[in-house]
Amino acid sequence: MRHRQGRSDTLIVGVKYCGGCKAGYDRVAAVDSLKTRLSGVVEFVAPVDAAASLILVVTGCRTACAEIDSADGRPLTYITSAEDAERWAADILRIHS
Amino acid sequence: MAKLMNAREYEESLRRLKLTVYQFGKRVENVVDDPLIRPSMNAVASTYEYAHRPEYEDILTTKSHLTGEKINRFTHIHQSVDDLVKKSKMGRLMGSLTACCFQRCVGMDALNALSITTHAIDEKYGTEYHKRFLKYLLYVQENDLVCDGAMTDPKGDRSLAPSKQRDPDMFMRVTEELPDGIVVSGAKAHQTGAVNSHEIIIMPTITMREEDKDYAISCALPADAQGITYIMGRQSCDTRKLEGMTFDRGNMFYGGHEALVVFDKVFVPWERVFMYKEYEFTTALVENFAAYHRQSYACKVGVGDVLIGAAQTIAEFNGAEKASHVKDKIIEMNHLNETLFCGCIACAAEGHREASGTYQNDLLLANVHKQNITRFPYEIARLAQDIAGGLVVTCPSEQDLKSPEVGAWVEKYFKGRTDIPTEHRLRILRLIENITMGTAAVGYLTESMHGAGSPQAQRIMIARLVNMKQKQKVARQLCGIDKVDQIR
Ligand SMILES: Cc1cc2nc3c(=O)[nH]c(=O)nc-3n(C[C@H](O)[C@H](O)[C@H](O)COP(=O)(O)OP(=O)(O)OC[C@H]3O[C@@H](n4cnc5c(N)ncnc54)[C@H](O)[C@@H]3O)c2cc1C
Repeated sequence: MRHRQGRSDTLIVGVKYCGGCKAGYDRVAAVDSLKTRLSGVVEFVAPVDAAASLILVVTGCRTACAEIDSADGRPLTYITSAEDAERWAADILRIHS
Repeated sequence: MAKLMNAREYEESLRRLKLTVYQFGKRVENVVDDPLIRPSMNAVASTYEYAHRPEYEDILTTKSHLTGEKINRFTHIHQSVDDLVKKSKMGRLMGSLTACCFQRCVGMDALNALSITTHAIDEKYGTEYHKRFLKYLLYVQENDLVCDGAMTDPKGDRSLAPSKQRDPDMFMRVTEELPDGIVVSGAKAHQTGAVNSHEIIIMPTITMREEDKDYAISCALPADAQGITYIMGRQSCDTRKLEGMTFDRGNMFYGGHEALVVFDKVFVPWERVFMYKEYEFTTALVENFAAYHRQSYACKVGVGDVLIGAAQTIAEFNGAEKASHVKDKIIEMNHLNETLFCGCIACAAEGHREASGTYQNDLLLANVHKQNITRFPYEIARLAQDIAGGLVVTCPSEQDLKSPEVGAWVEKYFKGRTDIPTEHRLRILRLIENITMGTAAVGYLTESMHGAGSPQAQRIMIARLVNMKQKQKVARQLCGIDKVDQIR
């Protein structure tokens, strides 16, 4: 995993949302909560930011229709529900600790 | 280089227009800040602002097939089934964020219909309409413009063709041909978002025959071209917007508008003319536009989302949310709303490529979708009013709630659950009123009925498009009238 220069312990993650036409949960609130929980561990950036080593695709439902061109071949992790977000945060914290 | 405007830039762009607008018999000098018009401007502005939000941009923006640059989807020509599906989702999304008509779909639908029809005319006649159209499209995309899709003529006596009307202006027509362009006269009625538009795209409203060929015209005009006058339509409860920012307006931010647009000898340069007397292509243009625009009623699903949310909220404020019939009514509202969503997704998912490269919806399913739209929002609105209770039409004004003399009584007697402020209860009731019989009902109900064609227009298309022969063939075979031609 690539990390932001000078902050080698921080994972840089690009957040790509779907358009949210019928989101089953509050996608922005879920990401805000990830930002709080993973503060100092993960830095969240726009998906076009080349520093991101992983793209978190945050979609409102399991159709997951977000356009992922901007990932440019970088690994993708899909969040399709608030539970997914929780699980991902737990995984990151486990790996990090 | 395409510019993706934000809300502020859009508003500034409108201020530069010199529109001739009338309302209540008076010229509106400052259209953008007019209190009656402003909420409708806010609704269009949201299509610009949300395009910049990461959580919405995936739907609200895409890549131009002309330049590869990022553009607002409302200026896009659909290049795939996925584009069509995203368009339906965009309608729902924007409806769910504004709870009103955000006015920008009709121009997008006009652009897409013209992309198909101009190509078809050129194929037959070797004309250059498509080239002109693409140049115009580039201008629209690069400047991120709002286009008014102007199809509906006043039509006068409905039993008479355009050329048979006593008043020849009942349908828009060409009155003069000049070396550098044409002159058009007439009017377009019910124009959604007219004074929030930068451009007007004119299309014929019905199939024209040879004797009506002066009426078989399509062209684009700057919204402030000389000779254009806008006469604003009234909406139920519209003057509540003149009462300041009281919650009696229901929707505090957004609204829609329609206008009668009169064209009095307006000059159109040839490069903006996309159909000129090719009357045999009027059916194709009308049907292509209709198929796109009938899909566009995906927006009502979004408005339905808000109305259902409001109905659930008032049920909770009233302490009635646990009653089985209330729960069942909310289920029914959702069932109807999601059924509508099925229709607009299905017609898009079954879309196809036209010769121009543009993707078009499945015509039959687009018509079925719009037919459902003519009905289900009325039923959803009825259920919302049932759940809301009579107060939705009898509650006093915000001024009464705030009045030193009677405010305490309004507060006391209109309280529902004790932990909910009376004001919250009144606010949600006003929103339900707004959507089901106030200014937003224009969009949620009557536009659902007549916009993109009255119900009968869809029924005619449904009758024409179903494969009845095939249905009969199998029925006859399975009951033994005809020989079965398939192995069981
Ligand atoms: C809120 C709203 C927004 C709109 N926005 C736009 C817009 O942005 N751009 C645009 O171009 N148009 C717009 N429209 C116009 C819409 O497309 C028309 O309302 C629709 O086509 C019906 O036309 P009409 O209103 O003239 O009704 P009419 O055509 O008068 O129809 C009334 C009834 O008469 C029937 N009828 C009419 N003619 C005949 C006939 N010859 N034979 C048998 N029955 C007939 C109809 O089926 C219907 O039941 C909008 C309409 C509304 C209500």
